[in-house]
Amino acid sequence: MTKFKVLLAALAILITGTGLMAQDEISPSRKQAIDSLALEKVRDLSKYISIVGNKDTPWSEANRVIERTQELFADGALMGVSTLGREEINYYGIREYLERLMALNYDKVNIQWYNIQYISDLERQPDGRYVGVITIYQRFEGTTKEGLRYVDVTKKDVTVYVERKTTQISGRIIGFWDVLLGDIRVSETKPG
Amino acid sequence: MNKVHWLVFTAILLLTPGLKAQSFNSLLGDESILYAQTKQMNQFFRRFNAEESSAGDRFYPGDKDYRNAFLRKRYLNILFDNQNASITDPLKDKFIDDVLNPVAPAYLDFHAGQWFAEVTTKFLYQGKEEPVTLFMKLEKENLGYKWVISNVYFRHFQLMFHNLDNGSQRFLHPLSHELDFMNLVKVFKDKEFVEQYTASDYHPDYLTLFLYEFKKGNLLFKTVNNVKFHFFQVPGWYFEVSDFNRSGTNSGWLISSLLQVNESDKELLLKYLYHE
Amino acid sequence: MMKNRLVSAACIQSRLKFAVMMLLVVSLGAGFSSCTSQKKLAKKKAAQELAEKTAKAKTDLLAIINDNGKMTLEEKEFKLAAVKRLKLEDQEIKDLIIQAEEKLAAERSVLEKKKEEERLMREKEARERELRESGPYRNINLSLDAVANAGDVSVANMKIREAMASFASEDVPVLILISSDGDIKDYDRPTTIKKYLEFIKDQKKSPNKVLNAVFDSNGKIKELELIKK
Repeated sequence: MTKFKVLLAALAILITGTGLMAQDEISPSRKQAIDSLALEKVRDLSKYISIVGNKDTPWSEANRVIERTQELFADGALMGVSTLGREEINYYGIREYLERLMALNYDKVNIQWYNIQYISDLERQPDGRYVGVITIYQRFEGTTKEGLRYVDVTKKDVTVYVERKTTQISGRIIGFWDVLLGDIRVSETKPG
Repeated sequence: MNKVHWLVFTAILLLTPGLKAQSFNSLLGDESILYAQTKQMNQFFRRFNAEESSAGDRFYPGDKDYRNAFLRKRYLNILFDNQNASITDPLKDKFIDDVLNPVAPAYLDFHAGQWFAEVTTKFLYQGKEEPVTLFMKLEKENLGYKWVISNVYFRHFQLMFHNLDNGSQRFLHPLSHELDFMNLVKVFKDKEFVEQYTASDYHPDYLTLFLYEFKKGNLLFKTVNNVKFHFFQVPGWYFEVSDFNRSGTNSGWLISSLLQVNESDKELLLKYLYHE
Repeated sequence: MMKNRLVSAACIQSRLKFAVMMLLVVSLGAGFSSCTSQKKLAKKKAAQELAEKTAKAKTDLLAIINDNGKMTLEEKEFKLAAVKRLKLEDQEIKDLIIQAEEKLAAERSVLEKKKEEERLMREKEARERELRESGPYRNINLSLDAVANAGDVSVANMKIREAMASFASEDVPVLILISSDGDIKDYDRPTTIKKYLEFIKDQKKSPNKVLNAVFDSNGKIKELELIKK
């Protein structure tokens, strides 16, 4: 009986193994290129967040950057934010999150990104699009006019949607990877 | 750079859990700790199977160290919550030995089922905040996969159906039909015992109840409070994985519970997890 | 049993000794025979050697003529030269040599042509690279970098205006090549030059360089293809 089970298990492994192979038609080198493209988008986002959070950024520039930031995202993407003391997650739309950041009453805002990131496998979802999660860490430091300092470190798990699309540019068919950011889970964390 | 990561990581691996991570912190900065942390479940899978380097770079089948047993042993040792006294060293070692069994090593497979998520959420029920536990599993559909709700635990549903087991007290006698079931009036007099009049194979479907209450507007979603995962993929073992958001290297997604169970007892354990 | 074996071994030894002696007698006898028979023998040997050389040359030549890629051209040329050095008077060999020479000459010319083509290709690539990195591409790259390196927003905006002067419009498509795997080319989502310049300004980095640019009749760029630096 146990032998039979082992056989069944082995069979199951074989089947899932080949299933994966059939699904995995993108070569590792192309995958790596997609990974770095996705990571670039996340880095671009962090830069945009710094610009919006910076008090020295003129209002018109900040608004333009908010528009650009939104172009990085898929429709309906949310930021889910939690702090260390409390268990629950607060949800914000991307624009809402950026506008809150813009309105923060800090005289000086310093946002630093840790030199570490984690890129998950790309998994296929039912509609054929690929989805992955990139994890990054951010240190936020805000100083008020009175010199009060607020510091937090957050872990950001960023959803990345990847879809192969084609377009025509002056008669040529161009194949491109449409990389869009999705929901972001922001959790306050203890780095040390 | 990679060399530095490797050194840091090796140092962390060699460290006994008793040693404070703070001493590292001052020495190498915060980032070393972030390297050690199991940052995603994806990383838990990859480390469990030794499918990535110490710097987090993915190994592909055919790479030299892909699923390397020596590397696996080191990774497996750091995948436990070190502050959990119930996971003793002998138990841990036995588990690792079984996983690394040279004849039939056990690997975790994202797509192979036999693992699921337990998501603790908060809903508003009759104006009060109430915890609702959703059990989620991965399901294949068309070209890919998706998470689906497979079961739900809600305290109020459970309380409502607690009178199920005992049918000997209340019943409709076998000649009720001759009276046009006029005695049904007694069945529906009392809310408390109505389920005792149901067939023996009747089992309340809490997920349907939950969806019904939600569609009626009686349940309003508030937030997600906690997520953990239950794994039944390793033959002879069950383990739970939780996220430890704390300082030090022993953080992130770690094994928070470990049990040696017969394959036949796994069903029982599953019922227990589902609060059935 | 043991005894028997010992006996037979001794017997073999004595027979061997006898055989050696007989051999000595025969060879001594041959030494006494006449000189003419020795010359005959040498002639016969030379003829045999010539026959062997001719046969070998023939096989080599046929191998050259019938080769379809197993040997390199150099190997074949070396073999042919070796056969020619033998200066064999055999007519068949002479004919085969001519055939082999014709075949190798043809192969040599194909190879030379291919080498020449490769050289021309390399030169073309070098010219294109030159064009990219100096010439008009150089100026585009410089104008992109200038936006990234601008100290503040107003300088950056000025640099954007300057860069825009080389383009046909704000909506000129910009393609960024992220990987090419054989025939498969993967690009980032296409953008426009206006958005790309603003991107460089915001990100304060110019991560790509020009791979290709298409100019309109006014000499303005109407299509830009970039690649990671």
